[in-house]
Amino acid sequence: MLGVVDVFSPTAPPRGARGLHRFANPGRFLRLAGRVLPWASGIGLLLAAIGLAWGLFVAPADWQQGDAVRIMYVHVPAAWLASAGYMALASASAVALVWRHPLADLAAVEIAPVGAGFTAICLITGSLWGKPMWGAFWVWDARLTSVLVLFFLYLGHIALTRAFDSPERGYRAGAILALVGVVNLPIIKFSVDWWNTLHQPASITLTGAPTMYLGMLWPLLFTALGASFIFVALVLARLSAAVMERRIRALLAARAEGT
Amino acid sequence: MKRKHRRLAIVLACGLGLGSAAALTLFAFRDNLVFFVTPSDLASRGHAGETLRLGGLVAAGSVQHATIDGQPAVRFRVTDGRSSVSVSYIGVLPDLFREGQGVVTLGTLAPDGGFVASEVLAKHDETYMPKDVVEALKKSGHWQPAAGPPPPAATWNTLPATRNGG
Amino acid sequence: MTHLAYILPAYAVALLIPALFAGDAWRRLRRARARLLVLEGGRRR
Repeated sequence: MLGVVDVFSPTAPPRGARGLHRFANPGRFLRLAGRVLPWASGIGLLLAAIGLAWGLFVAPADWQQGDAVRIMYVHVPAAWLASAGYMALASASAVALVWRHPLADLAAVEIAPVGAGFTAICLITGSLWGKPMWGAFWVWDARLTSVLVLFFLYLGHIALTRAFDSPERGYRAGAILALVGVVNLPIIKFSVDWWNTLHQPASITLTGAPTMYLGMLWPLLFTALGASFIFVALVLARLSAAVMERRIRALLAARAEGT
Repeated sequence: MKRKHRRLAIVLACGLGLGSAAALTLFAFRDNLVFFVTPSDLASRGHAGETLRLGGLVAAGSVQHATIDGQPAVRFRVTDGRSSVSVSYIGVLPDLFREGQGVVTLGTLAPDGGFVASEVLAKHDETYMPKDVVEALKKSGHWQPAAGPPPPAATWNTLPATRNGG
Repeated sequence: MTHLAYILPAYAVALLIPALFAGDAWRRLRRARARLLVLEGGRRR
């Protein structure tokens, strides 16, 4: 487990540090992440497995779409997490820019690839759903195009944070891109309401009852919740690794200086 | 003002500027952001020979099938409730095509006001329902799918259904 | 089941991509822990 890193006390935060900076101590973060990680992965895998089996083998087929509707159980959670992940990326970037939190830069760098992965799932499964139902793998309507833009924002962030010799400048550029891209999130959400699109409007909204049979809604909620836990677990694992890798670089640099 | 407060103010100000710029841009280009126009749009500003996407619902009782040169051909009316346009199409229709269903067709407006489609895409709505439930609603007279949108979900989302939907 | 040709690849992609991420994260964690153990151990001795 992560116990091995408990012993070091790197860059101890000033006494009485409060608020977010309580988690600025990398050792404390690693201990916390090490405790949360097995639970998040376990719960995520369990919920996702139940939801997927339920959706594939138990839930009823749709009267129009037949069994193709089962693609929903992977497509919709991926779509939700693509947007939620970007929200997390933007929040980490804001914390990094404004409060200079030492973990926030690393968090942004580690969230972006996971978010890009879930956006890719959303785009690919959506395409595989669109062909048999709509009659096209891809159309340039506002919903599909804005999600493709989201994918490129993630890729741009990944490229930008690695494009500079000094990581600090890469973090800064990436954070600005992430915040600028937030404009795309309401466009994705409301594209189906603001403009005529081929993509249908949301079935599950905060304001009204879901327009979905309950026997289909339940497995969807399971896969969505499971996928969220898996997303969190992936980010925590990557962030823990990144914190340790930074510690390794610091130790190597100190050693090189000492000799 | 502390430095982090100044940074916060800068970020918020940039966000406000960017947000309004984006909103204005989207508003200015709103006509180009729609994927299709409706029959009402077409009635008010359609020109013959123009290539565009026309979207709406397939009017109940309007679908006529035929065969032209061994190819399946179909003629139907697309309506948005206020206005409707006659569409002709030669080719294979998507599985979801039916009366009362949403469609988006790519084609040109003919001088006679009809629409000649080269591509028909099915647009499904946000309702997900098993076949058993649809049959039950039809039998009880609560919903005829060709006639309009389904009743509120609370009236049907717990009706019994089998896995294949009957 | 209808549309299996679309359902199966969709589920495969949805399982494969997170699995690749999980494998990568696990390898990174293991490598970083091992290197830290060596470096920290060396420093304390």
